[in-house]
Amino acid sequence: MAVAEQPSTTGNVAKIEKKIQGESLWSDSWRRLRRNRLALMGGIIIIGAVLIAIFASLIAPFPYDKQTLSDANSAPMWVINLFPTMKAQGEPGGYVKVSDLYFLGADNLGRDLFSRIIYGSRISLAVAFIGPLFSIVVGMIVGLIAGYTGGKTDNLLMRAVDLMYAFPTTLFVILLLAIFRGGASEAPQGSFIYTMSLIDRQMGGLLFVFIGIGLTSWMGMARLVRGQVLSVREKEYIEAAKSLGARNRSVVVRHIMPNILGPIIIAETLTIPTYISYEAFLSFIGLGVNPPTPSWGSMISEGAQRITSYPNQALFPAMALFLVMFAFNFLGDGLRDALDPRMRGSD
Amino acid sequence: MMLAVVGGGIMAQDGGGTVVSAISMVSGDLLTIDPAQAEASSQIEVINQIFIGLTNQDVVTAETGLGIATGFTAEPQDDGTVVYTFTLQEGIPWVRYNADSGAVEQLTDADGNPMVVTAQDVVYGMLRSLNPETASPYSYVLVPYIVGAAEFNAGTGAADAVGVVAVDDLTVQITAPDAASFAPAIYGLWMSRPQPQAIIEEFGDVWTEPENIATNGPFALKEWAHDESITMIRNPFWPGSDSIPQAQLEEVTLRFLDTPQQFAEYQAGTLDAIQVPADQLAFVQADPTLSAEYVTGGNPCTYYVGFDNTEGPSANAHFRRALSMSIDRQAIIDNILQGGQEAAGFFTYPGLNAAPQQEDFPDAAIHYDTAAAQAEFALALEELGAASAADLGQLSYVFNDTATHTAIAQAIQQMWSETLGLEVILEARESTGYFAGLSEDAPTIYRAGWCQDYSDANNFLYDVFFSASSQNDTGFVNADYDALVAEARVEGDTAVRVDLYSQAEQILVNEQAAIAPIYFYNLQLLVKPNVERAPSVTGNEAYYLWSRSS
Repeated sequence: MAVAEQPSTTGNVAKIEKKIQGESLWSDSWRRLRRNRLALMGGIIIIGAVLIAIFASLIAPFPYDKQTLSDANSAPMWVINLFPTMKAQGEPGGYVKVSDLYFLGADNLGRDLFSRIIYGSRISLAVAFIGPLFSIVVGMIVGLIAGYTGGKTDNLLMRAVDLMYAFPTTLFVILLLAIFRGGASEAPQGSFIYTMSLIDRQMGGLLFVFIGIGLTSWMGMARLVRGQVLSVREKEYIEAAKSLGARNRSVVVRHIMPNILGPIIIAETLTIPTYISYEAFLSFIGLGVNPPTPSWGSMISEGAQRITSYPNQALFPAMALFLVMFAFNFLGDGLRDALDPRMRGSD
Repeated sequence: MMLAVVGGGIMAQDGGGTVVSAISMVSGDLLTIDPAQAEASSQIEVINQIFIGLTNQDVVTAETGLGIATGFTAEPQDDGTVVYTFTLQEGIPWVRYNADSGAVEQLTDADGNPMVVTAQDVVYGMLRSLNPETASPYSYVLVPYIVGAAEFNAGTGAADAVGVVAVDDLTVQITAPDAASFAPAIYGLWMSRPQPQAIIEEFGDVWTEPENIATNGPFALKEWAHDESITMIRNPFWPGSDSIPQAQLEEVTLRFLDTPQQFAEYQAGTLDAIQVPADQLAFVQADPTLSAEYVTGGNPCTYYVGFDNTEGPSANAHFRRALSMSIDRQAIIDNILQGGQEAAGFFTYPGLNAAPQQEDFPDAAIHYDTAAAQAEFALALEELGAASAADLGQLSYVFNDTATHTAIAQAIQQMWSETLGLEVILEARESTGYFAGLSEDAPTIYRAGWCQDYSDANNFLYDVFFSASSQNDTGFVNADYDALVAEARVEGDTAVRVDLYSQAEQILVNEQAAIAPIYFYNLQLLVKPNVERAPSVTGNEAYYLWSRSS
């Protein structure tokens, strides 16, 4: 189509004396993102965490469920020295078993904390990707349809979103667990409940966390997308595309979507820490992963039981959680600055 | 009783000063403090302070002493029945705490006369517990010791035909169908205690709330903040009796807290006594201050893993034996509990009267033996028609959610996985209502505990696993076992009883492996130095024997 061949003419409406290298929104954003040190650090931490999660079995010195009961609650000397309240056996008032076998110490069943933190990254990162996936796919489709079509469809979809918004997520997850986990042992083989709980079990108890997050994460996204669509739908270039005979689908996919992607990416990156902390919260209150699958939330929860005597068991997983959530927040902030068109050209 | 220590601490108060003392209870709330409805140890601990029955177990000696009775006689009759005649102490008033005046007050009836505990109250209490409409979880313990109680409890007999009568205001006569040495102890258990008829009829289900209740013990109920705490205040009208003197503490508050909070609050000085969480034991014993406040003692309870004997893979005896034999009990004690508990090869707590000792009957007891467990598991798979453990379907191990139960569950999960290749899912349930849930529908594999109600092996082997027992959540039914424990119940010679019970144990934990006993409890407490605790050996605390110095 002719329009596609003439982007440079519209781009040169402003009379610029110096000839500049044509630069796309994305490469400009990337340049600005690179200059943001915190965001870059966040990105590196996330990539590192992803690699750790993928290669967990190669990095971790022990399997995550390997119990050595006789090493329960032991810790190496450097950890004991790190926490002033911990005292090694042998000192006056000392009670912590010293063992250099475990880099960060062992939990109350003699499982290596370091290995469990490494494996725990799988859960947090899986949630960090599943959440946005659901939210973008479902939220974007609903938002685009509602915003672009308008009228009755819009009204209907948005009221459905309102309804879902009113639904308490935690209660929903508890209900799912009560039905599927509680009834699993009684359900006949092959039944729906049996199959669902079998999948859940093979995923270490993550299925219902995913479902819970998935079912409740897309409404905000749908509203955001709809708002964005409404703001660009009356723009001149859309009218131009329409008047040139572009079909609805091509208008939405080729003209609207690329122009609203920035805010969506920003919003989603900034929501990822929410998903991660939600999983940690569910695991903390005992509704997340099944033991012995480690998740940072469940590790913090178990460690908190003995935080006065063995602070390493709660604080190390908490630090891992903190680091990854921080990384996503910084990256999100950096992306917002980088993708904001008003910042374009600035350093 | 069902073992459910309510998480919390005790706070005691003396003089008119501040509230001070607080012992451990499980987090969550007490389901009930109605003597006819109670079954968990935490509920009974409260009931023991505010309701006193004919007899009373001395917590220090575990012997059966007198409660509100001043004495009793037992006369064997020609037809084999035994008539027990209890004489009540005169003038024990029914009391209630009045929040407006801030004092415990004696209750009066419609005519303005003071309400006192009478023989009729005792009869009413027993009949109310036995009444099928009350659905008391403990009525079955009382049933075998009163003529006509079985029929009335089953809904086929009349209340009039039950052999408990008030001869006059201060004399209760109970006719027992046979001679069991521990019957007087049962007449003093909570479901047999006097209950205030007028109050219960006036207020219905909410009669146990502090503003409605009438109590007769050394303490009165002051406040019950559900899910938070329960406070008892000294009853100045309690005259004192044989084993129950007047209380010295002004107030006792039991708070429902999670174990980490209990420990933190104890260290902060806001609780006077707590149970030590297992994973803090090493810390407590090493700490110079805490180790001086550390108290240990006996706690006649058994921790066990129950199996649903009626359906699923756990209906297979080889399967149950395999699971039981692959649990390394000593490893759990040494590394998780760390309190020097004893590994349980039998169900019955060894300190009880007529209890068989596992050292004396090593072949009857169940032992950790991986090779035998694997052989049993192979047999089980064959009988169940499964090629491997994975074909058995999804099995859950259900437990009430506390840190120690979780740790033990994970250790057992790994032992089954390593020894048998059996993978089970762990399912943690809320503590409140956990045991009621077990009675309704027992999960395939679950954690449970049992504590003594009176010091006799009958309380473990007959009261829990006799086929008709309402505490028999496993659904275990075995004619040989029933015959043995029924015979031992009325046998007079202790040596013969021990032998009968050892045979019953052999069936229960070994041959049929209806349950897997794990360990015998002991008590690890922290008590502030200014609080004097009565050294209880029964697992129940008697706060009326406690005192504190400022």
